[in-house]
Amino acid sequence: MLSVNRTVLLLLLLFPGMLLAGGVYQEPEDFLAEVFNGEVPEAQVIWLTGPRKEVVTQLLGHRYPSLRVRYWRQGQRTAWILEEIGKTEPITTGFIINEGRIDTVKVLVFRESRGWEIRHSFFTDQFDQARLNEQRQLDRTIDGISGATLSVRALKKLAAMALYLDQQARQRDA
Amino acid sequence: MPNRRQEKNGVKWRSVHTWHRYLGASAALCVLILAITGIALNHTEPLELDSHYVQSDWILDRYGIQAPLEPLSYRAGDRRITLTEDQLYLDRRKIGESYRQLTGAVLFNELLVIAVSDNLLLLTRHGELIERLQDTGGLPGGIKRIGVDTAKGLLVVEASDGQYQSDADFLHWQPRTDRGTDRDSATIAWAVPTPLEATLKSTLGDHFRGEVLPVERVLLDLHSGRFFGSAGPWIMDAAAVILLLLALSGSWTWFKRRG
Repeated sequence: MLSVNRTVLLLLLLFPGMLLAGGVYQEPEDFLAEVFNGEVPEAQVIWLTGPRKEVVTQLLGHRYPSLRVRYWRQGQRTAWILEEIGKTEPITTGFIINEGRIDTVKVLVFRESRGWEIRHSFFTDQFDQARLNEQRQLDRTIDGISGATLSVRALKKLAAMALYLDQQARQRDA
Repeated sequence: MPNRRQEKNGVKWRSVHTWHRYLGASAALCVLILAITGIALNHTEPLELDSHYVQSDWILDRYGIQAPLEPLSYRAGDRRITLTEDQLYLDRRKIGESYRQLTGAVLFNELLVIAVSDNLLLLTRHGELIERLQDTGGLPGGIKRIGVDTAKGLLVVEASDGQYQSDADFLHWQPRTDRGTDRDSATIAWAVPTPLEATLKSTLGDHFRGEVLPVERVLLDLHSGRFFGSAGPWIMDAAAVILLLLALSGSWTWFKRRG
């Protein structure tokens, strides 16, 4: 038994990533409950059709896999749960946008085997208060993480998409 | 005139040389297989060997890969939704990722609604995904069947804890209050599986077989010899030993010539 414990300890010392690797970090409904203090507003939908579809395709570099996206609005805050493939698997991320600026970014589900470091606040904090410039790009540089290039790229694309959809939803709901 | 010792050495040298040639010829085919598959396997990602699939009937038969005999299939309007193992098809076209447990499909308000993997897929009639509804979005869990309340014009699901109906946007689900009454059973048209037409069944069967076995798997099996059956690895082991002997006999011959 002692040798088994030693083996496990040795493995964890050699591969600390085993403790921290991908998975479900937070269920989307728990994320919504947390950010809206337990009072999640009614879901609304925005359709990715016409020019909106073209812009999203431009932002992502490919079509978004669905034609409509849900969001939740409370005052000027909107919540978005979006997915983008890092290398082969979708990364599910929650965004809170407040008056056109990013308030919160949280990686909810990470299914890839590499690049999970993007979930940490040292990376996601870089998006704080970011907004879209006139070229529909993030108004700041987001530093990458070596070994997580594709995941970083995916999150930057999703952040731009969330900001754009927030603009669209505000214009529509105004 | 050569003495006896020189004559003996000459015979030994010729013998090694002859054996070297025989060994080389006998290992040639295995070495070719090892070298070609080895080079290809070293470049699996750029060659996309793991995402290209073997189409050859002979190889697929050799691996014993068969299409399911009776895939589950539903008719929704004039479209056909079929689940073959983990692959979902709209008519002949494969839809997205891998799925499990198809429990129904209906045409509702010009949309295709498919209950699969405990989710509801909303598709346009052309098969474009509108949204994937999941329990995290309020969809009742454990969907057993799906139908349309023809009297009220509502989509209905039977979940693990009862029947629910959705609003027009599929955003909210409410428990049905008239469940179990005569009126209820009379007005809901539940989706029921129907046998697949022979031609479509054959087409989907061929398609399924052609999406199962990655080229990389076959190359790995060729490289290890397992492709040739239980004796294959031993043959490849023998080829490796022969290569070892070739290296030794080649080196020995070279030294003798120099000497």
